[in-house]
Amino acid sequence: MFKFTTLALSVATMAAVPALAGNALVSPGAHKGIAKSSLSATPDGEWNRLGRRDGKFVELWTKDGDSLNKVTFFGGVPAGEPLFREADKKNRPLPKVSGTMLMTDIPTLLESSYRIQFNVNRISIDDQEPATLGGHPGLKFRYTFVSADDEVERKGEAIGAIVKDRVFLVSYEAPAIYFFEKDLPAFHQLAATLKM
Amino acid sequence: MLPFLAAALLAAAGPAAAQADPSLPPFTLGYEPTSVDERGLWMDADERERRLRDSTLTVRDEALNRYLKGVLCRTVGEERCRGVRLYVVEVPAFNANMAPNGTMVVWTGMLLRARNEAELAAVLGHEFAHFELRHGLGGFKQRRNASDVGAWLAVLGGLTNAGTGDLQLSLLGSVYQFNREQEEAADRLGFQYLAAAGYPSDAATHVWQTLMAEQDATAVGHGRKPKQRYAAGFFDTHPTSLKRAEYLAAEAGKIGDSGRDPRAADYHAAIAGHLPQWLEAQVKLNDFGGTEYLLQQLAADSGWTGELLFARAELYRLRGNPRDLAASVGFYRGALSAGYSEARLYRNMGMSLLRSGQTSEGHTALNEYLRLIPDASDAKAVRALVEQ
Repeated sequence: MFKFTTLALSVATMAAVPALAGNALVSPGAHKGIAKSSLSATPDGEWNRLGRRDGKFVELWTKDGDSLNKVTFFGGVPAGEPLFREADKKNRPLPKVSGTMLMTDIPTLLESSYRIQFNVNRISIDDQEPATLGGHPGLKFRYTFVSADDEVERKGEAIGAIVKDRVFLVSYEAPAIYFFEKDLPAFHQLAATLKM
Repeated sequence: MLPFLAAALLAAAGPAAAQADPSLPPFTLGYEPTSVDERGLWMDADERERRLRDSTLTVRDEALNRYLKGVLCRTVGEERCRGVRLYVVEVPAFNANMAPNGTMVVWTGMLLRARNEAELAAVLGHEFAHFELRHGLGGFKQRRNASDVGAWLAVLGGLTNAGTGDLQLSLLGSVYQFNREQEEAADRLGFQYLAAAGYPSDAATHVWQTLMAEQDATAVGHGRKPKQRYAAGFFDTHPTSLKRAEYLAAEAGKIGDSGRDPRAADYHAAIAGHLPQWLEAQVKLNDFGGTEYLLQQLAADSGWTGELLFARAELYRLRGNPRDLAASVGFYRGALSAGYSEARLYRNMGMSLLRSGQTSEGHTALNEYLRLIPDASDAKAVRALVEQ
């Protein structure tokens, strides 16, 4: 009974996860259509694109694995949609993008989504300043957070903008110890080439 | 009741008997687990406790921890509480649990929801009762020996049986570690503690009533039907909250005391320093219905303080419908009148006003924020909003 039920559970779990497309190398040079959107970037070093998709509008890049360094592209999340695919839509729905959002609401949207989806019980938005994302006025912000899953303190830096009621956001996250500083220049180089 | 008395008698026998008598209560200082099963459970619990001790999410506030331990000792008695280590963990949901080795874990979401010291004591007493009655061990043995389908399903549902350091968020109030009979036994022993310690006897029933109401409010807020199950299903590990509320209320009726907790003020003083942070975590969970209910409950005790009004304003602003934004501005203003003095109020009120199309008033509020904290970490971004 136990084995049978375990098998049934595994099958049920697998069915709930969309088919994985496989990871792919992102070679240096221009890349268009990131996160199935108008975002493009021209990295000068190698990255890896994860086959896993955390949402309809999300694409993940990493150098050494997403728990060590992760760039998340949110390619134009429209009003009424959450940033991520909801893990428990019924009981723990995520906040949705709103048509009246200000650019300063983007960090709160991210924070709230993290608290609900990733068991992030401690998170602080450290600073915020105006910036441009692909030529559009936006916001750059830095943050620190700890997820209850692995209790590693991570730092993040993100650039976001609201263009025609859609949220575009590109974030870089890595453990605060060693990794964040190590790959920050690579993220800055990548971010500087972002176009929409 | 019998295990309670037996345990009390054994406790009176003192530590000298610890080596000889395998049926000594587990809270005896220097108690060593006796059987293979019990040693295994304790070893696992010890490891989890080590992780808990070093966890970054453990709240290291000496005064708060001392206060909570004090409440536990008042509830179950000095002798019993001596063998307990209590940890507060930053998780914004209602839960507390106790491992077979005497590790007690309290989530901050529970502290936010307890209305007074008596309700806290009811929860701590209940968890301690699981420990005293060795439910971790009993449940483990029962599940291992049983062979029917129901028992195997219980294993699947109770994989976290020995867990205490398990920080994975689960559903609100889902404390699935023990079976239904064990929960009821712990409720009844916990109730005896509460009565013996002189706390109002209806505190335990209040805990379950408000938890049920909050779950209903959450469901409605998420566009679902209020869905308290008013009878426990065959495989449910817990008595339904309603059943608990009922039998605990019946017990309280027999005692018939005033129902007022004379120590409520002590409780509010002990958690006051943490309240803003816990409220903020709750407000950001996108649980409008449950949070609104919770705030109403807190306000029913203390009145609408500046802190509660600010939290309510944030809750409405974050939901962000046009009517919510208008309501939030009203609550921000109310918080100001009630003496709330943190500068961030002006920033957030300014953002609500801007989103409502009240641009000049919004700018005035944002400028006030910048005047109060010109070098705030988000000053540049706020300035950009004003200049847009």
